[in-house]
Amino acid sequence: MNFEGWYPLLLVADVGPKKAVGTRVQGKEFVLWRDSHGSTHVWEDRCPHRGMKMSLGFVRGDHIACLYHGWEYDRGGQCQYIPAHPDLDVPQTIKIPRYPVIEAGSIVWACFQEPDSELPPFLELPSPSCGFKSIFADCPASRVAELIEKTPFNGVAPKVTAKSDRVLEIVLEGGTLTAAVQDVCEGHMAMHMSFDRFKASADQIPYSIWADQLRRDLETAARDIKTSEFAA
Amino acid sequence: MTTPTLYNYDLDENCYKVRLLLSHLGIEAETIAVDVMPGKEHLSPPILAMSPKGALPILKHGNLVLTEVEAILVWLARTYDPDKKLLPEDPDTLGRVMMWLSFSARTLDVAVAARATALMDMPGDIEALRRKSYDAFRIMDDHLTIQQFRGEAFLAGGTLTVADIALFPSFALSRDFNIDHDEFPALRRWANTLRLIDGFITMPGIPDYH
Ligand code: FES
Repeated sequence: MNFEGWYPLLLVADVGPKKAVGTRVQGKEFVLWRDSHGSTHVWEDRCPHRGMKMSLGFVRGDHIACLYHGWEYDRGGQCQYIPAHPDLDVPQTIKIPRYPVIEAGSIVWACFQEPDSELPPFLELPSPSCGFKSIFADCPASRVAELIEKTPFNGVAPKVTAKSDRVLEIVLEGGTLTAAVQDVCEGHMAMHMSFDRFKASADQIPYSIWADQLRRDLETAARDIKTSEFAA
Repeated sequence: MTTPTLYNYDLDENCYKVRLLLSHLGIEAETIAVDVMPGKEHLSPPILAMSPKGALPILKHGNLVLTEVEAILVWLARTYDPDKKLLPEDPDTLGRVMMWLSFSARTLDVAVAARATALMDMPGDIEALRRKSYDAFRIMDDHLTIQQFRGEAFLAGGTLTVADIALFPSFALSRDFNIDHDEFPALRRWANTLRLIDGFITMPGIPDYH
């Protein structure tokens, strides 16, 4: 698997303190969790014991514990405690791979390249920003940019500009969104959106309704693309 | 006031809804365990006499026998919630509560079927049920996102109602039929809020964290 650069994973607001949530990038599973200090961690979503997903586990202070047999890992991914062997000095080799994380544009990003390699540059994003909404759709991530314009907002087609291969700027009437596209797995994508400035909650409702329609339109278009490719 | 009797099966999410509401209201009901698996006791003549489909929960209070979980939740709220918060009188909120109760019974029933198919070998097309459950969760997630923009944390408004109690377990248990919570941020937040209500109780598959 080839990972390059920074990958958007979810809105900062969507992983609460002491919570864990799972995600996928190109089909590979990751866990995101936030410790009691508010730091976000992105790890491989796999407990070294028996392979249970860590995203099903629970956060206790600055440790995350596996749901299955309660093995506890510290912020460095190192297993510190095994309930079945409370007196054991846990071997240093029991460790979960973890990845660099940044929070920018109200979105959490991680970088999955080799641990010791230099961090790639990060795209400049509007700041401040205002986290808005994520949508998940059965649509290939590579097709999203071209399809967004087909879902009008207030009767007007959105203006879409690609800032990078995963970041789009979407200009809608009365609001500009930064949309970070996540290639979840084949045929399935997520798009994490934030406004480029503060927007009062109540004023976000029409955009939310638009985003829901966009998801429906993306899925319809993706089905049509599939059918026509099949026919061709 | 005499207390009601609940015919209960611990692994049934519809029974859990009633237990959760009873606990939230602080009511000790007499609970009669019905051995559904493996005993098939829900198909025994005494149960069928009260609930011809063999469906649980059943609530008995004096001469009143209620089946259908939404009706039981409504009756409990009306009977034991003096503040009328769980089943508000204001017509608009009541309308919204009833709308989500109907959604629970008519749309989210696929999630109950998906779980029964996955866990209890009930015959069914698990893939189709899972897809329909996913679509129902999306509707709830989109709605709760908008609720959040309105500054309201619950399905029918700014406070907890029986609608939240009716819809919560299917989402909380969705991993039983292989739907992760990852793609439903608003539902995750809502479920976390519900875990903090007075008298919250757990059931197998619904811990008090996460
Ligand atoms: S699989 Fe994680 S503790 Fe056993």
